[in-house]
Amino acid sequence: MELSQFIQNLMNGLAIGSVYAIFALGYTLVFSILGIINFAHGAVFTLGAYFTYTLVVGQFENNGLLKGVNLFPDGSPFSGQPLTFALATLLGATLAGLVAVLIERLAFRPMRSRGADPLLALVSSLGVALVIVNLIQLLVGAEIYNFPSDAYGDTPPALSFTLGGKIVIIRTVQVIIFAVSLVMLVILGYVIGRTKIGKALRAVAESPTTASLLGISVDRFILITFFLSGFLGGLAGTLVGTAFGVAGPYFGVVYGLKGLAVIVLGGLGSIPGAVAGGLVIGLAEAFVPPEFSAYKDAVAFALLFVILLVRPQGLLGRAAIQKV
Amino acid sequence: MRHPAQRRSQLSSFIRPALGATLALSLSLGAQAQKVETISIGVAVAQTSNTALLGQEQVIGAKFAEKFLNGRGGINGTPFKLVFQDTGGDEAGAINAFQNLITKDRVLGIVGPTLSQQAFASDPIAERARVPVLGPSNTAKGIPQIGNFIARVSAPVSVVAPNAVRQALKLDPKIKEVAVLYAQNDAFSTSETGTFQQTAKDQGLTVATVQKFQTTDTDFTTQVTAVLNAKVDLVIISGLAADGGNLVKQLRQLGYKGLIIGGNGLNTSNMFPVCQKLCDGVIIAQAYSPAQPSAANQVFVKEYTAQYKKAPPQFAAQAYAGVQVMVEALKVIDRKKKLNTWDLDDLRAELNKQILLGKYNTPLGPIAFDKEGEVIQKEFYVAQIRMKDAKTGSFVYLK
Repeated sequence: MELSQFIQNLMNGLAIGSVYAIFALGYTLVFSILGIINFAHGAVFTLGAYFTYTLVVGQFENNGLLKGVNLFPDGSPFSGQPLTFALATLLGATLAGLVAVLIERLAFRPMRSRGADPLLALVSSLGVALVIVNLIQLLVGAEIYNFPSDAYGDTPPALSFTLGGKIVIIRTVQVIIFAVSLVMLVILGYVIGRTKIGKALRAVAESPTTASLLGISVDRFILITFFLSGFLGGLAGTLVGTAFGVAGPYFGVVYGLKGLAVIVLGGLGSIPGAVAGGLVIGLAEAFVPPEFSAYKDAVAFALLFVILLVRPQGLLGRAAIQKV
Repeated sequence: MRHPAQRRSQLSSFIRPALGATLALSLSLGAQAQKVETISIGVAVAQTSNTALLGQEQVIGAKFAEKFLNGRGGINGTPFKLVFQDTGGDEAGAINAFQNLITKDRVLGIVGPTLSQQAFASDPIAERARVPVLGPSNTAKGIPQIGNFIARVSAPVSVVAPNAVRQALKLDPKIKEVAVLYAQNDAFSTSETGTFQQTAKDQGLTVATVQKFQTTDTDFTTQVTAVLNAKVDLVIISGLAADGGNLVKQLRQLGYKGLIIGGNGLNTSNMFPVCQKLCDGVIIAQAYSPAQPSAANQVFVKEYTAQYKKAPPQFAAQAYAGVQVMVEALKVIDRKKKLNTWDLDDLRAELNKQILLGKYNTPLGPIAFDKEGEVIQKEFYVAQIRMKDAKTGSFVYLK
């Protein structure tokens, strides 16, 4: 492989891999606390993008029930002045976090309080995902929504040079995605590792019963986990949406599947594992030769399969200890 | 306790007469011809799923036809009704929709489904039930050959697509090297790219690189850098609106300055919000143009634009044409014998016969059908996208 191609692939892989990582962190947070997969996480990813879009643009068009409804009508404090992109992203991700909290209350807590089989909660979250996707379709239509060109999507490449006669281009959006993801990973690492909230979360993850005996409100910290998970999912959705457009209500489905692959690859419940898994899958996809690029999903999942054969607990997961 | 054999015998003594009675009843119902109660035409298109991007335009086109044609007297003074069924984007959805329209809604004919792939699954059901079908957007090879009751108003891609390459060469005769990109998980795009590649070769062009992608892809940096490194003069894309639009956008963002041709999947204004200003200049071959000068089209364009504040797209025009053909065929039949006096099965068969016999002045221009149900359309168009701003654009007809 030529050096130019190598650098290009590396940058492409790091950018998309970092989005996979922050998206998958949402999955892994919930898994580490409850031991179940929240299948509605892909739908939350989609919602995050739509929320930010609404706050940036102010209204939807096309065929949904919300067609033409203006978020900032004349006479309102923000009349004709939709939010700046950065603020909208923050609020969009926060709203996605709140939706995740709602999902916990509706789909997970009732099951948990009845001591239901975790499989039922999993099915329940799958149902919630389908309801959300269909609601989006009903409310805003199936059309593609693209952020205005003055969001960072249309800016000129951050770096463009020729190496050995071949062009290497690093898009600004790739740099921004990578930087935002890196910042989020650092913040999350700090929150989980160094703060009281993080300690409490880790205690709940280790043993909810013991945590409860220590005076930690398990339900409250489960809600916090879901909020963080939704926030990260919504942020990932916004990053992908602004870079490539919000491709309809089913936008998050592929990312949902990829996120699953990432956390399994990294090691279920492992936060560093989710980051490593995201980067590995992103890079694996990027290094698929261009003429076979349509098969990059298959390559990513084949890699997952191979790694699981060699290391069933995932890259950074711990092998389960069986007491005899 | 009774022996199981006794229970079986007792059960069979009850079931046999019951089954016999049911069978006799169903046979007598089957033998009893169903009368035509309402003049209803089925529209089975994708209102949900990713395909809804195209299907929603068809719904608008069909609804517009219903309102407009009923406003002009319907079927010789009697209004007709459209019955909509959502096919979703897959084969199972199309089959369900067809079955409902045929057996529950008892429609006279069906306009649909949206995708060729769906048509191959659902059209045989209509064929077996002897219900006429008009495909509004099924451009793949072999659709009319599914059966005697299957026809289409959508010209096959093999006829439409080459016009775009010829027009590109007219705009820039220096074009030599071509890059071809297509969605390899979409049957239509895979088939369309074959036509494009053959046309490029026939026109003496060199296909320098062929790149594949998935309709679900969003990041095309790999494909775009490969295209840039191949230093081509023309890019030809076969995909759908979301991925194709994104590909156009990223090609332009990363510095590709040459001409771009989009296939039929990009022939929708739904592409505009994706690539926004960067859609400008993309060449699309079309089976329909709002600029088509016939009176039928100009009335359609005027009324449609007044209602929807935009020029009608091809998918809407073809759905309109599908409904119009059914209505006009029914008008001819009604003049000979009132529709409400027909038996349903007979009327369906007669409608199919009349559809294939007639000549129609539709917004697509004058059309007719060959004996297999293939549309005979003389006029095709090549348009270039012109964006007014980031949101609004139009397909400008190139002569």
